[in-house]
Amino acid sequence: MRKGLKPLLIVAACCLAIWGYIAYKQPALYHSQSYVFGTLVDISIYGEPEERAKALTNHILQDFQHLHVQLHAWQPSTDNSANELGTLNAAFASGEEPIHISPRMAEILRDATKLSQQSNGLFNPSIGHLIGTWGFQRDEFSAVHIDKAHISNLVKANPRMSDIVIKNNTAYSKNPNVKLDLGGYAKGYALDQAADYLRKQRVHNALINIGGNIIALGQHGDTPWRVGIQHPRKPAAIATLELADGWAIGTSGDYQRYFMLDGKRYCHIIDPHTGYPVQHTQAVTVLIPPQAVHSTQAGTLSDVASKPIFIEPLAQKSTIAASLGIQHYMVIDQAAQAFVTPELQTKLTWLDADFKKHLHVQATAQH
Amino acid sequence: MRIGDWCVVTTGIVLVVVLFQQLWSHEGATRVQIRLGDTIYGTYSLNQQRDIQVDGAIGPATVSIMNGKARFSKSPCHNQYCVHQGWLSRSGQAALCLPNQLSLELIGEAKHYDSLNY
Repeated sequence: MRKGLKPLLIVAACCLAIWGYIAYKQPALYHSQSYVFGTLVDISIYGEPEERAKALTNHILQDFQHLHVQLHAWQPSTDNSANELGTLNAAFASGEEPIHISPRMAEILRDATKLSQQSNGLFNPSIGHLIGTWGFQRDEFSAVHIDKAHISNLVKANPRMSDIVIKNNTAYSKNPNVKLDLGGYAKGYALDQAADYLRKQRVHNALINIGGNIIALGQHGDTPWRVGIQHPRKPAAIATLELADGWAIGTSGDYQRYFMLDGKRYCHIIDPHTGYPVQHTQAVTVLIPPQAVHSTQAGTLSDVASKPIFIEPLAQKSTIAASLGIQHYMVIDQAAQAFVTPELQTKLTWLDADFKKHLHVQATAQH
Repeated sequence: MRIGDWCVVTTGIVLVVVLFQQLWSHEGATRVQIRLGDTIYGTYSLNQQRDIQVDGAIGPATVSIMNGKARFSKSPCHNQYCVHQGWLSRSGQAALCLPNQLSLELIGEAKHYDSLNY
């Protein structure tokens, strides 16, 4: 070997080694975004070969699409999937003749009924008529004419989940005014289904986000998954937190689905007891730890539990949170003041200085 | 130069490269990524003044880039939530137009989080 060449080779070898190290250190992250459930579905899978991650993601998205049609509150069936919820609602409206339901629908209805009772009827998926009247059973929202008498009649009709009778995979409603809308349940349920599927496929690290509701599996390489919490009025995150394995997070806000009328904001979260959209709260975020087998799973709870807390006035929020077993939550009221439980506060990294400065840390109510 | 010198030079190069990778990051965003449906439509430098026309699911939208910021400036959607989001300037900020299946995300060296809860 010529004398001058040797050092050059050493340098080249070192450069190659660095390049190799950097390439090796590049995160093996697969990231996909799609539109299902009328919202954005964002799936990250870490540490799997790209082809496999892609195939798993496609499988999840197909399941979501199927679930979307099955549980859709106002769209008819497609060629591939039946709109089971629509058929069920039609049967409920026409009388007390039991009709066949799928095992999945039976499971969902039982669980939703339990959660509805636990939340003193504030989580009530049977108020589909009210939701439709306020114009939120459409893809795009616009101001509606507010018919006070009609709304009052819909509240008096008192549709409740306990009106539904489920027996041997059949169901009927004792109240023809029951109209199911699983808008506050389906996305969380889908999170649990996807997490379950990935675990069975031995995928250890993933982050699934359906329209803002997120569940984590494992972590992002050496560090836990980190999620941001959206500012209710700005296109920025107010804080971030680590989402550990099996934990889920959900927010109910007045800023994603709403319309303005006479300078007032009418959001999609309706108080079943008054029949009107809630106007005292901007956002409620709940953080849910992994749940025991055979109870409502973390994803579903992250979707459901934020609604009753959103609906209750500030003074009662901690009571309803306690009855749902929620310890980690944050409330942002109409004056943009943030109230956070100490359990959640210790997990937050604040990005928004204004919120951080005016923060109220409040203990959760005791039973 | 002798072997020892080369070792010093090489170590120097390695140090510079590794430190650059580890430490060179800043808060500000440098690029905007536009996604259409499930595909990346394009990634553009924020260091320019430019309007980009994108044909979304329901019609053409305009994304404006100006001096390190980006926003939806025109959209065919009914509610115009995406346009009302205004300018995005920090890494990790995102704006979304559900009806048109378009999203903007600002990308920088440092990302504060993996996903956004909203």
